[in-house]
This record gives sequence, structure tokens and C-alpha cells, in this order.
Amino acid sequence: MSYENHQTSHGKALTATIVVIALILVGGFTYELGRRAGIKQASGGKAVSQSVQSSTGTKNGMKRVGILQYVSHPALDQIHKGVVDELKKEGFVDGKNIQIFDQNGQADQSKLATMSEQLVNKKSDVLVGIATPAAQALANATTTTPIVLGAVTDPVAAGLVKDMKAPGKNITGVSDQPPVAAEIKLGKQLMPQAKTVGMLYASTEVNSKSQVKTATKAAEALGMNVEKFPVPSTNEIAQTVQVMSDKCDFIYTPLDNTIANAMPTVTEEANKKGRPVINSVDTMVKQGGLATIGVNQYQLGIQTGKMAAQILKGKGKPATMPVYTFSTGDTIINKEQAQRLGITIPDNLRKSAKLVSTEVGKQ
Amino acid sequence: MSMIISSIGQGMLWSMLGLGIFMTYRILGFPDMTTEGSFPLGGAVCVAAITAGVNPFLATLLGVLAGMCAGLVTGLLYTKGKIPVVLAGILVMSALNSVMLFVMKSPNLSLLNLPKIQDVFIPLNLPTNYDTVFIGLLAVTIVIGLMSLFFNTEFGQAYIATGDNESMAKSLGIHTERMTNVGLMVSNGLIALSGALISQHDGYADVSKGVGTIVIGLSSIIIGEVLFGELSFFQRMLATVVGSIIYQLLILLVIRLGFDTTYLKFFSAVVLSMCMLIPQFRRALHLTTGFEKYFRKNDVVATKGKANA
Repeated sequence: MSYENHQTSHGKALTATIVVIALILVGGFTYELGRRAGIKQASGGKAVSQSVQSSTGTKNGMKRVGILQYVSHPALDQIHKGVVDELKKEGFVDGKNIQIFDQNGQADQSKLATMSEQLVNKKSDVLVGIATPAAQALANATTTTPIVLGAVTDPVAAGLVKDMKAPGKNITGVSDQPPVAAEIKLGKQLMPQAKTVGMLYASTEVNSKSQVKTATKAAEALGMNVEKFPVPSTNEIAQTVQVMSDKCDFIYTPLDNTIANAMPTVTEEANKKGRPVINSVDTMVKQGGLATIGVNQYQLGIQTGKMAAQILKGKGKPATMPVYTFSTGDTIINKEQAQRLGITIPDNLRKSAKLVSTEVGKQ
Repeated sequence: MSMIISSIGQGMLWSMLGLGIFMTYRILGFPDMTTEGSFPLGGAVCVAAITAGVNPFLATLLGVLAGMCAGLVTGLLYTKGKIPVVLAGILVMSALNSVMLFVMKSPNLSLLNLPKIQDVFIPLNLPTNYDTVFIGLLAVTIVIGLMSLFFNTEFGQAYIATGDNESMAKSLGIHTERMTNVGLMVSNGLIALSGALISQHDGYADVSKGVGTIVIGLSSIIIGEVLFGELSFFQRMLATVVGSIIYQLLILLVIRLGFDTTYLKFFSAVVLSMCMLIPQFRRALHLTTGFEKYFRKNDVVATKGKANA
């Protein structure tokens, strides 16, 4: 085309850049092929095992841990802290006998692939993925390096593991699926006359979907009707809660980032009609929810760290380590909110539950 | 090394996004916000189709078709409905969020253990990341080839003329509305292709994958323009691809240099701003940039198919 018979100096720069890129590609290609041939000769065809060994081999005795976090947000940060603290407790101190490489995508999914490859490239001995997109990006970057999931609600639906009990590949970890059924039961216990539950969750979050499914089953088993109210963003929450308050006896929210961010709005609107809100996270109860059975996020991190430490010590392989799920947690009730809504807390709950008040400045 | 190869490969996959935006933003001269919806839509349709058992190549094509439909809707809202183009794009973009949820039945769909387009290279036993590079090369070659063919037809010339001067084009008997619609369709088809390929590269589709993509597309166009200046039409498309690769390499560099990745968006904004500021510095120093010169002579390029220095 035109650029043969007309070349400005800029056109030359473009041609030169393309040539450089092409050279890098061709050079890399021949180098890789050459290296592969070399390995094959040296080990008599056992190229694969050789390269895996050399890639997991540790330099100067330091083990490497790569952590990819999807976004900064109090719950995920708590998990991150839990992982690092637990590793320390198990004898792996950052900078002493392990190196921790941190990457944070800050919700920008276009960067997660590059970040994951970077961590794999650092020859990490174990990778930790916090939140589903981060875990998926890591899973896509490597099929050999062990990956420990932190805060993935439904690893099977996310396509990360085949089976919760026997993951089968290089991935295992901790599911942050809250004890949904127990939470619905708690709601019924506090409001025995309740007939209809409204589920409030974000339509854009994959983690909420499976929880709502479980919660619906639990509610129907208790003889209640379920109405689902998915919202596309925080902006529609106020109206949705108004509508829900007319239709439902109490509102249930799963572990959901969008709703968590807008919990003050939910409380405000629900309080106007005197509708209780049952949550999945302790922080949401402190923001004016009525009650939850909460799994501590920090505890999730600790469990994740424990699994990572086990792999580092060579005591376990992801393929045979079951995904850890919390079946129970602490019952947390907001006594202020209960009083306001005229709900009497049954004696057995009053004794076992942790009673909290609405935190000032959070409502 | 393999990281650089991977970035080059990803750059090629992302370059289709840049080429799509080039079709509307640079030639027709308007920003099309549909981008942030059609990009994840391409991925969503493609991944949903693969999950349903469709061949990955066909699935990618379905993704492209979905993107073209989205572009057509934006075009009709703009040309027939007289809705300002930015608003029309934003309307379609937000509507696509629901469309994706409908298509995927879930906000996020994984491709793990399912076939993808890269799998054709498995029997060749290529070195790591070269599957992405070859897919990228293939796609870039096909797209740029088709685009060059398109711009050399009478229709393509009429399309460029519409962007240059709409009223003049109208007086010459060119259906400018049709041109705008076609431009938006082709552009969003390309953007959706990029989305479908990136989704297969990343291994999942997600409704929020479109956030910030318009910045990536613009970056590749602008980096290409600033670095290489005055170019022929064909070269400008190549420059967009190279710009896209350079953007990915810059991001890699920022991550590699060990900056706190929490603030990565800040760094990418700085990189983009720097690129956009270079022409201002040049102007202050009275160095003409090739880009403006080129566009002033765009009609000459368009009719003769070659730049006139």
C-alpha cells in the first residue's frame, strides 16, 4: 500500500517499532524452543517434570507467596491481614524466610491477567486469590502453582474447583459462604409470625446468586414465601426497600458488596416502615441491621493463611485438600434495633448471642 | 521474557478495541459510550455460547454480532431518534448491563475447563503465551485487511467523507445517517470482538469488565498518534495496534517496577496524560506534529489512498 512509495520519518519509526516487536516475538519463540530442546536432551524426554521442578525450586531458601486482591475494601483487607498474620504464626515471616508479593487490582479487571502472570513469573510457591475475579485470573495464569482461595463464595459455580470435597487440581481454599440457612432460621426465630421474606441483593454479583438460592430453600422449608429483589446498583436501593417494606415481613441480605456499601440506606428506609433486616455480615448489623450469624472476615483470612502454610510446608496438596466452609458463626443481634422494632429476643438467644448497638456515625 | 510476550499478545487482543474506537472517535469525530457496554457484551455472549456448547470460533462471531446490534441501536437512537450521540451511547451501555445478565443468567461466567479459541494451538505445543500472540496476529491481520478493503471501496470513501464534513457529504448525495449507523455497527462489532477474545484469554466473562475500557482504547490510539505522527491511513491502523501493545507494556512496566498497584489507575492516567501532553510541548516549541497535518489533508489521503507530505 501507500507506505512503500511514501515514507516520512514517522513512518520509519512505526516500521522500526513493528520490526522490534517482531524480533522480540521471534527471538522469544526460538529461545523457548531452543531451551525446550536443551532440556529434552539433558533429561531424556522428561521435559515437563524438569521445568516444573526448576520453577518451584527456591532461591536462597526463601519461599515465595503471591497475593492477588481484587479490590481494597474493609472485609477483603481483613482477610489479607488474616492471611499474613497466620503465615507469621506458622513461622513464615515476610522478609525473613518468605517473600510476600502483593498485587491489588482495585476492581480493574483489565489488569488482573497481567498481575497474575507477574505473580506466577516471580516463581511463587503458593498463590492466594482474594475475591472471585482475582481467583479466576490466577487460575487462568497457572495450572501448576498451588492456589489458595480467600473469600470465594461459590468456587464450584465460579468454575474454580470441580468438587468442594476433592478439588482435584491446583486450587483449594476457603469459601466465604455465610451460614445462610442458619441465618434464615434465626430470622424466623426472632419473628415467628413472619410469612414473607424479601431478598435484597445486587444483580451484578455472582456471589449473591448462590446464597439467595440456598436462602430461598431454607425459607421455603420453614413455610415462608420468598420475594426476590435484585438491584442493579446502589442508586436503586432506596425505592426497592420501600417496595419491599410493603410486601415483606422482614428483609434478608446475603453477603453482597453493593448492599454492604449502601447498608445505611437500607436501614433508613426499612426503619420507616418498621421492617427488620437480617444480614450476613457483622458489620452490617452494626450499621442498623437486626441480626446475623456472622463469620468473621479476619477468621476467614486466618483459615486461608493456615491452608497456604500447609502447602508451603509440603503437608498438603490442593487437589486433596477440601474447600473449607464455615457452617456456623457467632450470633450477633443489634439490641437497640430490636427494641425499636418491638422484637423480644428469646431467652436462649439472649444468653448465647453477642448483643451489639448501632455504631455511631455508621448509620 | 514471557511476560513481555504475554503483554504483546494482550496488546494485540486489546487493539481491536482501539480500532473500533478509531472508526467512530477519529473518523466520525464523536465519542461513542456504547464501548463500555459492547466490550463486556462481546465477552458475555461468547462465553455464554461456549458454555451452551457452541464452537469457540462461532461463539466469538456471535459476540461480534451482538456488539454490532448494540451499535445499531445506538446509531438508530442518534440518527432517527435525534438523541445526542453521547447520551444514546450511555443509554445503550446501561441497558446492556441487563442484557448481559439475561444472556449469562449470572453476573460472572467462567470458562475454566471449557474449550476456547486458543485451544486450536494446543497440538502445536507452542511456548507459553504464544497462543495469545498467534490469535492476536490472526485477528489483527483479518481486521486490518478487511478495514483497508472497506476504506478503499466507494462506500468506505463516503464514510470518511461523512466524518470530514457531514453537510458537504450530504450535498454530494451521501446517506450520512446510513454511514453513521454502519460506522457504529462496525465499531461496536470490533469492540465486542476484542471483548470476546479478552474474555477467552482471561478465562471468564463479567458484567463489570467494561469499566474503564474506553480509556484503554483511547490510550492505544493516542500513543500511536503521538509516537508516530504523520502516517498514511493504513499505517494509522497499524500505529493503533502498536500503541495498544505499548500501553500494555507500560502497564507491565509500572507493575514490574514495584509501584503499589493500589494506585495503578493513577499511574495509567499519568501515562495517558503525558502522551496527550507531548503535542502541546511540541507546539510550544514550534515543532509541527504529524497528526494535525495529516488530518488537514485527510481528504487527499482518502481519495488517493496515500499521505501527501
